[in-house]
This record gives sequence, structure tokens and C-alpha cells, in this order.
Amino acid sequence: MANNDSKASMLDLFVFETNQMLEQLERLILDSEKSGGLEVAINEVFRIMHTLKGSAAMMMFNDICSLAHSLEDVFYYLREAKPPRVDYSELVDLVLNAVDFIKSEVMKIENGGNPNGDCADISERSKEFLSALKANDLSLTDTSQRPVSSELKPKYSIGVANISEDEGKSRYEATIYFDEDCGMENIRAFTIVHELSDLAEDIVYSPKDILENDTTSDIIKNEGFQIAFATQNSLEMVQKFFCKTMFLKEFKLNAVADANSKKPKQKKTIVLDDPITNEAMNSIVKEVEQQTEGTQSFISVNVSKMDMLMDLVGELVIAEAMVTQNPELHGLRLDKFYKSARQLRKITGELQDTVMSIRMVPLSATFHKMNRIVRDMVRKLDKKAELEIIGEQTEVDKNIIESISDPLMHLIRNAVDHGIEPARERIAQGKSEVGKIRLEAKSAGGDVLIMIQDDGGGLKKEKILRKALERGLIEKGDISLTDSQIYSFILQPGFSTNDIVTEFSGRGVGMDVVARNIEKVGGRISVDSIAGEGTTMSIRIPLTLAIIDGMNVKVGGANYTIPIIAIKESFRLKDQNLIKDTDNNEMIMIRGECHPVLRLYERFQVQTAVTDLREGIMVMVEADGKGICLFADALLGQQQVVVKALPTYIKKTKGIAGCTLLGNGGVSLILDVAGLNS
Amino acid sequence: MKVLIVDDAVFIRLTLKAMLEKNGYQVIGEAANGSEAILKYNQLKPDLVTMDITMPQMDGIAALKAIKKMDPSGKVVMISAMGQESTVKEAIIAGANGFIVKPFVEDQVIRGLSKFK
Repeated sequence: MANNDSKASMLDLFVFETNQMLEQLERLILDSEKSGGLEVAINEVFRIMHTLKGSAAMMMFNDICSLAHSLEDVFYYLREAKPPRVDYSELVDLVLNAVDFIKSEVMKIENGGNPNGDCADISERSKEFLSALKANDLSLTDTSQRPVSSELKPKYSIGVANISEDEGKSRYEATIYFDEDCGMENIRAFTIVHELSDLAEDIVYSPKDILENDTTSDIIKNEGFQIAFATQNSLEMVQKFFCKTMFLKEFKLNAVADANSKKPKQKKTIVLDDPITNEAMNSIVKEVEQQTEGTQSFISVNVSKMDMLMDLVGELVIAEAMVTQNPELHGLRLDKFYKSARQLRKITGELQDTVMSIRMVPLSATFHKMNRIVRDMVRKLDKKAELEIIGEQTEVDKNIIESISDPLMHLIRNAVDHGIEPARERIAQGKSEVGKIRLEAKSAGGDVLIMIQDDGGGLKKEKILRKALERGLIEKGDISLTDSQIYSFILQPGFSTNDIVTEFSGRGVGMDVVARNIEKVGGRISVDSIAGEGTTMSIRIPLTLAIIDGMNVKVGGANYTIPIIAIKESFRLKDQNLIKDTDNNEMIMIRGECHPVLRLYERFQVQTAVTDLREGIMVMVEADGKGICLFADALLGQQQVVVKALPTYIKKTKGIAGCTLLGNGGVSLILDVAGLNS
Repeated sequence: MKVLIVDDAVFIRLTLKAMLEKNGYQVIGEAANGSEAILKYNQLKPDLVTMDITMPQMDGIAALKAIKKMDPSGKVVMISAMGQESTVKEAIIAGANGFIVKPFVEDQVIRGLSKFK
């Protein structure tokens, strides 16, 4: 860490790992709280606090370090003393407060700031908590003496035995000083005694109680450690031994007169207990081997590198199409070329799949954050609600996960705040006292569907209508609106902040922002509600933003790309299937169902020679459960296309999701099926 | 000198690794817990192991004992936090060749480990 470069990367790593630990800690605490007791998690929490403390100390973030330390102490006590009465709910609050504090500090560090928060308050509370625990539990009077050491003593016994023969031994006295910053001097002194016993005997040392009394480290620090012993080994050997001791600053070694005359003959024997038997050893190794087989090794990679890789693969896909579909190849007989080209395509495809899979992250971390939100809100609002999480393993592109985290949080908050009724009200309505919020994710084709469902009061249709009327969104007497159209008004900007809305379970607060954020990543949100039974928010987001399977179609001189996932079928129209309604709208009857026809050349005002529905091609696409038939001149072929955002100088057009480059270098517009449909 | 670093925190592992490699040590492996350490020790036969004490699954003391059992001449240096005196004692009795107290600085680590060269 001496140079700045490595310090910066260390800092990144510190931030990353600390965040991970905090997340794990939070989940641990919340899970154990749900399952009825923190007892099971004590060990784990202790370990995390310990590691947090160590890492923070290394980076010299003293506040984080001391806070983690104070909590480590609490959990150490819980682990070792197992006090019978513990106020776990207070402890949970304490730990969560600490987690919040450390999180905010880490956030500051991450943004290049100084972690200057003050944790004295939480530290103090944690210390108070610990002393309260100790006071409660009088059976364990002295807790500063850690139980391990008392266990340890019998293992190490210093016996005294007379030696009958001691020829050729010389006696030495040594005073030893350790480096100032090495820490635990008494244990270091003990290490020397312990190792010296292999080559010397008759060992006497001062201070004597190095094992039992940790304050002796100060004496050793100031006055040095005195040791006298007798050995058959040469002076050189003894010197060598001391030279090999870690953190030994200096030592004075003096030969004293004949060993025999000076001291009573004593031999120090050290009995080591607890050797691991061979069998036990074997089983450990076996177990280890089994464990490691299952575990995968991971590396962490900077997201920006992943983005770059993704971009490059995107370019590669385009370049591949440009080569293999090059117009200059038209009409040439190139069997070998096409064989190689197919191979190239296969490999690019695999490469792309792999890159995608690297970027995929399960939603679980995002989902579990919600647990905390629900917990905190329920406490604050004095309601009863629980969160049920389904399908957390569903994977989504990393970038998308980041941008849906906030909207999700918002929706969950709304569900608790406005959706779930107070317990009394719920009982009066014959519902169970505890409200249920269900957060569910599942894959649906190329999209991921996330649903937030509550069993609260639901939206009040009349009030939304009244509000919409006030704002001029609808005209008086308009009765053609479907329920879902009415509910989707709450996604309109300006429908928020108004107290009329908040009063009726106010899904208006910033809902337009939620909708906008979801649309930003190509997702859509829809609202459904049943009065008295609850509200469901469905978010449909694409798995990934970058590359889609597309069907290219030609309309006049323009190309359009339809996402393959949306296509149900394509066909040529037969006369008898075409019907017209009273407004002269064209419909196609397929298998007993009517689907409206959308002529792409009309929609996008393109000149084309093909205007007869029977001459061109019909592509039936589906979005939100509704089918619609797009009319184009001809199909050009299927291709993987890299989605590029429309340049900023083109105004956002409904029905266009973006654009892409074709193999021949031309541009194709990617159709947004849902946008066309509405 | 070939070193195996054992610590459950990636951060500490990398810090140590950077320190050691800068000073001419060869870090031949890393392990995140005691059981991994035993396995890696068998595979890699390092000259020196730095061993954290508090780790999940199997702690440093158990791993130390196992390593010393397999290879009594193996060199294991414990990495311990302040306040873990009693555990360090246990480690020394189990045969640890020394210990370093966290938080450590580069100079300290190198000075300490130089005794094993």
C-alpha cells in the first residue's frame, strides 16, 4: 500500500468487500429475526464484525473499526457466555444502525470523500448493551478474561523434573527487546520460551506470568524480557535461534558460569495436548476435497470493462454481418467461404452468449434489500406486513438491475405505506391482520416480469377518474376507458404530490418517475387493482439491452427490425380473412380472433409500391396479450442486431425502440411493439 | 520464497499479496478458509503460510494443527487481530512459527517474515 496506485485499487476492493459483508450481515439479521431468533447467527455475525474491523483497521478508518469492534465484543460475549436473557430486538436495531452507519461511511469513501461520520452514539449504545448484558448475568463475573484461556491452561503444563546428568552444558542469560509496533509482546515472549524448550532446558524467565496476564506486554515493552536457560548447544546456535525470532529488535546474550552450580536441576517439559489423529486428519482432508469440488472460484471485474467487452462483441456481431452479408458477394458461388462464414457466425454467437451470461446477475440482492425497507416501515408506521419473495434467482443484466432498484424500492414503499391498511382496519374487513406483499420475478420469453402485489385496499377508481378529469386528461362522460387505462393514469406526471391522491392509497407519489426510470431501460409498467383486495404492479423489463434477435422487414426504401420475441407468426393474407368494422378499420380474423391491421408504410409515412394487403406480408406481433398485424412489403431475414439508442437529434418517436446497423451498412429502425400497439 | 496466504477477506489477502510480491516473495496461492488452506498446502507445498485465525468453515487454529500434523517442519505465521491473545497462545502451542498483529504495515510484515528466509 505504499504507492498510491495500489492504494486506490485496495480502496476499491475494500469498498466492494465491505459492502458485500454488510449486505450479508443485513440479510443474516433479517432472516434470523424472521425465523425467530438471532441465536443461530451469533457466530456468523461475530465473524463478519471481526473481518470488518480488520479490514477497516488496515485502511485506517478508525470509526468503522471501533464500531465494528464494539459490536464484535457484544457478539463475542453472546457466543462465549451464552447469557440466557438477551433483548434481541434491541440488538437487531443496534446492528442495523451500525450497518447503516458503516454503509454511509463506505458510500462516502466510494465517492472519494472522507468517512467523517460520528459513530460515538452507536458505539456507546453497544457498550451499554454489553454492560447491561454482563450485569444481568452475574454468574460470569470477569468477562475480560476470555474463556478460551482458562480452557487452554491445562493443555500447557510446565512440569518440573530432576535431571541426573548435565554434562557439557552452558548456561546463558538473555534480555530481549521486541520491535515497538509488533503487538502482544507477552505472547511473543511466550513463543520464545516455547521454542527454546526444544533446544534448551532449565528455563527461567521474568516477568513470570506472561501467559496469564496480558498487561505484562507493557513491562516487556519497557524493560525487556529476561530469560535464563541451560543448553548443550553452542553459543552460535543460540544466537541463531534468537536471530530467527520474529520482530526481535535486539537481545543481549551472556554466558554465565557453570549451569550445575547455579540453579537446582530442573527440566521443563511441555505437554502438548490435542493432537489431531491420523483418522481425523484424513476425514478433514476428504471433507475439504468434497467442499472444494462444489465451490467455484470467482474474480471481480470492473463493470466498465464488462461494458466495453459487451460493446466490442456488439461491434463484432455487426462486422460479422457486414462481411458475410456483403452485397458484393451476391451471385457468387462461394461454397467454402460460406462454410467458414457459418463457423464464424457460430463462434460469434457463442461468444455473445458467454458475455451475456457473465453480465447476468440474480435479482436476489436487490430483492433482499426490500426486506429491510418493509421491516423499517412496518415499525415506523405501526402496521403489520410481511414480504414474500419469489423467484429471486431470476437473472437480469447488471446494468438493468441497477436502474430498477430504485423504482422497486419506491413501489414497495408505496405498497406498505398506502396499500396495506392498519391492522385494525384489516381485521374489521375480515382480512388477516398481517398484510402480505409479494415480490415476484419470473422469466417470460426475452423479458423478465417483476410483480409487486399487495393485499391492501386497492386503488379507488372514481377518485382517479375525478382527478384525471380535473387535469384534463379525459373528457366528461368518457366511459370507454378500461380499468387498466384508468389505473395507468397514476403513472402520469403531476398525478403525484396531491393530497387527494395520497389519501386514497396514493400511488401517485413520484409514480411518473418510476415509470420513466423503467422505460429508460426498455421496460414497461402496468397497474392492476381490485378495490378492497389489493394492487398489482407488473414491470416487464428486457433481459438485456444490447443485442436482440430481430426480423428485418422492408417497407418501401426503409428497413425495420421487429424483435423476434414479439412475433407470433407471419403469413400472406387471404381475402376471406379480411374484415372491416363500421369505422372502416381493417381487421384480420385468425382462428376466430380479430386482430387489427397496422400498415407500417402509413404509420411511418413511407412511399411504397406495395399497398395491397394481399401482396405484402403480414407479421403478427403480440404485446401485453394483444395481437396486432403489421403489414410490410417483404421479409428480409432474421439477424442478431445490436440495439443502439436513437441519436439525440431525433425526437423520441412512439413505436421506435432504437436503431441498428445492418450487414450492408444500412440503418434499420427497431420497432417497439408495445408502443405501436397502444 | 513461496507463500500461501490464508484469510477470509479478499481485501486482506490482496494487501498481503501486494506487500509480499513487492518484496520478492512469491505468492503461490490463496485460501479463504481453513479447509481450503489444508488442501492448497498439500497441492502447492509452500515454504511459508500466513494464516488468519477467525475464518468461516474451519478456523486458522484447526488448519494450523492439520498442517503441522502433515508437515511438522511447515512454517505457519498467524495473522491475528488485537485482543486475540488467548487464541494466539493456543496457536503457538499448536506449533505456529510466529504471528503478526493486525492492522499491519508493509515494513512490519516484511521485517517479521524475513526471519524465515
